[in-house]
Amino acid sequence: MNNRHRHTQRAPMPWYRAAVLFVISLVAVVPFYLLVLLALKGPTTPLTAIRLIPDWHIVNVAAAWKKSNLGRAIVNSLLMTVGGVAVLVLLASMAGYSIARVKSGLNRIIFSILLLCMMIPGIINTVPLYSLLIRLRGINTYWAMICVMAANALPFSVFLYSSFIRALPNSLEESAVIDGCSYFSAFWYITFPLIGPVTASVVILQGLGMWNNYAQAVFFLQDRAHRNIALAISLFFQQYGADWALMASAASIALIPAMVFFIAFQKYFIEGIIAGALKG
Amino acid sequence: MKINTTGWHKYMGLPALLLFATFFLLPFVRGVGLSLTDWNGFSKPTFIGFSNFIAFFSDERALRDVRTTVLFALASAPLLNLVGLALALLLNKGFRGRVVVRGLLYMPAVISPMIMGSIWYLLLQPKRGLFSILLERVNLSSEMNWMLDGNLALLVLVSVNVWQYAGMTMVIYLAGLQAIPSEHYEAASVEGATSTQIFARIVFPQLLPSLKINSITNIIGSLSVFDVILALTDGGPGYDTESLSIYIMRMSWGNRGGYSTAVAMILFFIILVPVLLALLLFRRTEGI
Repeated sequence: MNNRHRHTQRAPMPWYRAAVLFVISLVAVVPFYLLVLLALKGPTTPLTAIRLIPDWHIVNVAAAWKKSNLGRAIVNSLLMTVGGVAVLVLLASMAGYSIARVKSGLNRIIFSILLLCMMIPGIINTVPLYSLLIRLRGINTYWAMICVMAANALPFSVFLYSSFIRALPNSLEESAVIDGCSYFSAFWYITFPLIGPVTASVVILQGLGMWNNYAQAVFFLQDRAHRNIALAISLFFQQYGADWALMASAASIALIPAMVFFIAFQKYFIEGIIAGALKG
Repeated sequence: MKINTTGWHKYMGLPALLLFATFFLLPFVRGVGLSLTDWNGFSKPTFIGFSNFIAFFSDERALRDVRTTVLFALASAPLLNLVGLALALLLNKGFRGRVVVRGLLYMPAVISPMIMGSIWYLLLQPKRGLFSILLERVNLSSEMNWMLDGNLALLVLVSVNVWQYAGMTMVIYLAGLQAIPSEHYEAASVEGATSTQIFARIVFPQLLPSLKINSITNIIGSLSVFDVILALTDGGPGYDTESLSIYIMRMSWGNRGGYSTAVAMILFFIILVPVLLALLLFRRTEGI
């Protein structure tokens, strides 16, 4: 906080730095603006005559919403992300606690397996996993996607939890145990509330990955009723490949949830990314 | 009734292990086994030894995909680090509106690469893309059609990928920079250090953890690139921009399940080797 005061008293930044920052911000924003221009294009405006002020042809958005079935896809993505994150936080925090506090052969094995698998991207497993899920009747189900996405995110999350918990003094847990509490309960009542920042980091980082998932969805979710957002958009683009305003409208709708979520929780987002990246 | 939970904490890792074993380890091990068979996705797999792996090295399309994947990573991973670091240095000094700029630069990274690729498709397609049209209007356009030229298409893919994720590497570098106490800079400039010296002796060592995490995630991410290519070029023109992970999917859908798992194993090694090398390099550097 001290820093902030010092900064505000600084001399204004030189114009060239301001100019560079402005241009860079523009580069980040302009594609989104162009997308909006396309999405709101009137039916009589040819692509080549598009102006830099939107036509405000909102009807496109309504048509895209109806034809793309994005409402259902958003609900599906939400269900699978919430489910996946819940399973992940529950299992990863417990495993991280046990690994950090109990030095046993079992825990050492679990930790080594997860650490070794941390660098294997999920795509490597997809084909054999597909045949496994057919046998388990998991194709086109929420539960299978939830389990697969949670499993893929486990190594990193367990690693993060265990290193955080290891850095935490266990005196509070110990005194609870002396008072007759079990270590298991001590974890839920004492340790888990203390590791909120790790949980936030896991929820944001891995939740975002689940929300945006395509590589697994394209294999395991094939019927219309279970499609997630990325899958719905890719299929919509294949189906309406000629109507650019419609495609742009659908893409704009698909952007909104993640973008609104990010803008609303920017501080937690950035902190979560940093905690996950540098303290793990 | 009160449940006695004494001793449970010793086995709290078991549920995670169970989930991981079922949905990750089992398919991985099964993949290793299937890579040695002629499995077509439905049939009973027959053991054929290393035939799939031998076939891979005379499979022109597969070898071109290796080249595409490696080139994409060789361009993407260093560029993401450089651009991210440059942006972080630019944003390191406080100014009004820094949080806003940081948010704008990070925003593309929260969007699904499938959706982001689709958006860039609408903007970049020659003649029809809005971006191309606007460039043409200010007479900046050339006749280059990147959708017909494999190398140009790859360049476009790399650019879009860097555009989308530079904000992410930036945030991680920025965190590393902000952790350096300002006294260090002050002391160095009092001692008469040049800005190059300050960067090499003070800033860079502090950035090593950021560099490490950014390098590893970008190596893994760019070598397993999938969504953005499918959305932007669909692997085209021809198979010029097809990545290995797309090839795995297409082979499995083309009823060559055994072969596709062999390709997956090869991709696994293509990712494993640079990651292990990078880890080794960082361990050494940190040791000094």
